Amino acid sequence: MRILLDGFTKSFGAVTVIENMKLEIKDGEMLALLGPSGCGKSTTLFAICGIHKVTGGRILFGDKDVTRIAPQERNVGVVFQSYALYPHKTVEENIAFPLQVRRLSADEISRQVNEMARLVHIEKLLGRRPAELSGGQQQRVALARALVRRPDVLLLDEPLANLDAKLRLEMRSEIRRIQLETGITAVLVTHDQVEAMSMCDRIAIMDAGRIIQIATPSEMYENPRTEFVAGFLGNPPIAFLNGVVGDGAIDISGTDIRLPKSAGALPSYGARVVVGIRPENLGPAGDVPVKGRISFVETQGRENLYDLTLPNGRVLRSIQPVRSDVGLNDEVEWFMRSDRIFVFGEDGARL
Amino acid sequence: MNSSRNLGLVLMAPAIVLVVLFFLVPVALTAVFSFTTMSTSTGITGGAYQLAPNAIQRLRDQFGMVELAQKLGEPSFVIDERGLATLEAKGVAPGIVAELRSNHLNETFTVRRDVERMIRSLRERPSTPEVKLISAEFSRSLANARFADEAALFAAVKAIDAQLTEDEKAALAAASYSGWTWTTENFRRMVSTPDTARTLFNTLAYVSLTLVLFNTGFAMILALAVHYMPERPAGFFRILWLLPRITPPVIYVLMWKWLAWDTGFLSAVLDDFGVRPRNWMLDSAANAWVVVVFINGLVGASMGMLIFSSAIKAIPQSLFYASEVDGAYRWQQIRHIILPQLRWPILFVTCYQTLSLLTSFEYILLSTNGGPGGTTEVWALAIYHTALNNYAGNLQYGYGAAMALVLVVIGIVLSLVYLRLFNYGALVARPLIEH
Repeated sequence: MRILLDGFTKSFGAVTVIENMKLEIKDGEMLALLGPSGCGKSTTLFAICGIHKVTGGRILFGDKDVTRIAPQERNVGVVFQSYALYPHKTVEENIAFPLQVRRLSADEISRQVNEMARLVHIEKLLGRRPAELSGGQQQRVALARALVRRPDVLLLDEPLANLDAKLRLEMRSEIRRIQLETGITAVLVTHDQVEAMSMCDRIAIMDAGRIIQIATPSEMYENPRTEFVAGFLGNPPIAFLNGVVGDGAIDISGTDIRLPKSAGALPSYGARVVVGIRPENLGPAGDVPVKGRISFVETQGRENLYDLTLPNGRVLRSIQPVRSDVGLNDEVEWFMRSDRIFVFGEDGARL
Repeated sequence: MNSSRNLGLVLMAPAIVLVVLFFLVPVALTAVFSFTTMSTSTGITGGAYQLAPNAIQRLRDQFGMVELAQKLGEPSFVIDERGLATLEAKGVAPGIVAELRSNHLNETFTVRRDVERMIRSLRERPSTPEVKLISAEFSRSLANARFADEAALFAAVKAIDAQLTEDEKAALAAASYSGWTWTTENFRRMVSTPDTARTLFNTLAYVSLTLVLFNTGFAMILALAVHYMPERPAGFFRILWLLPRITPPVIYVLMWKWLAWDTGFLSAVLDDFGVRPRNWMLDSAANAWVVVVFINGLVGASMGMLIFSSAIKAIPQSLFYASEVDGAYRWQQIRHIILPQLRWPILFVTCYQTLSLLTSFEYILLSTNGGPGGTTEVWALAIYHTALNNYAGNLQYGYGAAMALVLVVIGIVLSLVYLRLFNYGALVARPLIEH
């Protein structure tokens, strides 16, 4: 079901956290709300499920305005960061609870619980209590409970934050599998760009209560709208250098690096700009030479991550297949690919 | 390691001393006293042997020694060397003494008139004052005489009746002893007297009504109501319900009395509606019960409210959110989410309040004092009335101690039962609520 937030505003007391947000989640799509802590992504999620009353604006499920409807009647499924499983109930009773409070018959409840248990692969755990489950199993139970009453939308609040690295990988694909199998509209709240990029159809990146950009993961990675978006996506992260618009080129302050003026409008002569270079765009091949000293090498197995300290003290990152010809403290000359470089104005907007 | 163990002992010493002084010793003394006949009339130190009229009556009625009782009860006169020696010392005419010694030694008389007639008929014809003086010296009456020990008693009795059997001696000692003795009579009396059943029933009613209606029931309603309130009014209501608890009991009960007196608030207000003024507290047994339960319950509810409130606060907020989006309304939330997780606090409050209600009687003492006509007399109050303060003035320490011992036993048994119910081992294990 299509979800629409129209002019959504939320204040806590005198503090307005989110002002006049517009967000559309398409039917059957999985959308990530991505942003740093305190950016308002969880607040948005809690407004969609009705736990928080909105201060202004409308929330529509399909064509139905649910703004003033209590969470009990909204038909949403939520997976909380802590899973929020009822500790005194068994797995079966936990999953059955949303049906139980709707007074479905025992047969019907049992049938649907079993179906859901099969979907999330926990058939064998139905008799246990949450305390007797591992983190990943609790996660599956929480998913089953959220999905059992066929909600209009599935909301996931940092669902992977409490899992260890291996389980996180496993549950990432599991959640995506279940979402695709059920075809449910889903919203994932996360601060982890890897989760957002790997699990979702689209990403809405948020900062300080505003949505900065909504796009597919690849589109957002290739074509970030602001410095903030570029800095948030990508692992290892992008590096930024300050520069000044010179004569037909951008001079990087304190170095002899000159970036040829690429297509598109650059600000007038002498304007200050910020240049973003992703680690994969700095290496042995390219068109703009960069001289520096290797100040750090991080082994990642298949690849190495090099920190390249420029004469002005700024650090660029380069990720390259493992090579043995260069090492720590070597002076090297590498190259940037000027066609893959992002240039931002002083206000952070992409030029 | 060793020094820290010593330090632990040092730190625990005050607590151990207090426990011994204020718990173990009183309980032990209660147990000891419960097997005695101690009361105001016996005192708590040793007694003496006194042939008071009631002792002679007991000798006759309880031990069936009619003759002996008769003999001890009568005044008696014996012409003996002791009396003669006294007369000589007092300077009575030697002729009289000599004649008494030679002719009348060891004669006994049971009536003053007889002995005085004998004296008057002596050759020297003593004057009437002399006769009185002489007869008084030979009076050997035991009535109301006090003896420090059995030997003195028997010696005195022997002077007027030489043939006391062992049985008679024992009976005499028992009947005339004025101090306390060891006995199991207290417990027999407790089982047989109808007051016991009534007081026990009152106690059961008082504890269960107050506990169920207020200390847990009303406390839970308050805690739930406060939980669903906004923060500020919630704090206000918490404080409000603590007021009865922090009001001094005497003032708190006095306010109830002002409310309930026949010239008090209730009567004054209801008078306008044509209701006859009356003492609403003591007007009938039902009124007294309502007041007693309310007075105790409104004080007791505050503790339950605090404990339940904090237990509800300890439930992670996400569980409330989760149950809301799962479709549970308030009542379902209370029934399925809150109450199941308050099992331990409920058990704790039940246990603690049962024991404290069993032993506390100050509010009843101050309000109805067990009235009207003993209808609100609970076990602890009955102990107080029996042993420490009653209208008749004969305080029965021994019987009161026996009743108190029963209360101690009930308390210990209940504690053990509750500890089992609690599954104490599980309580001290890791907390059940996981964040």
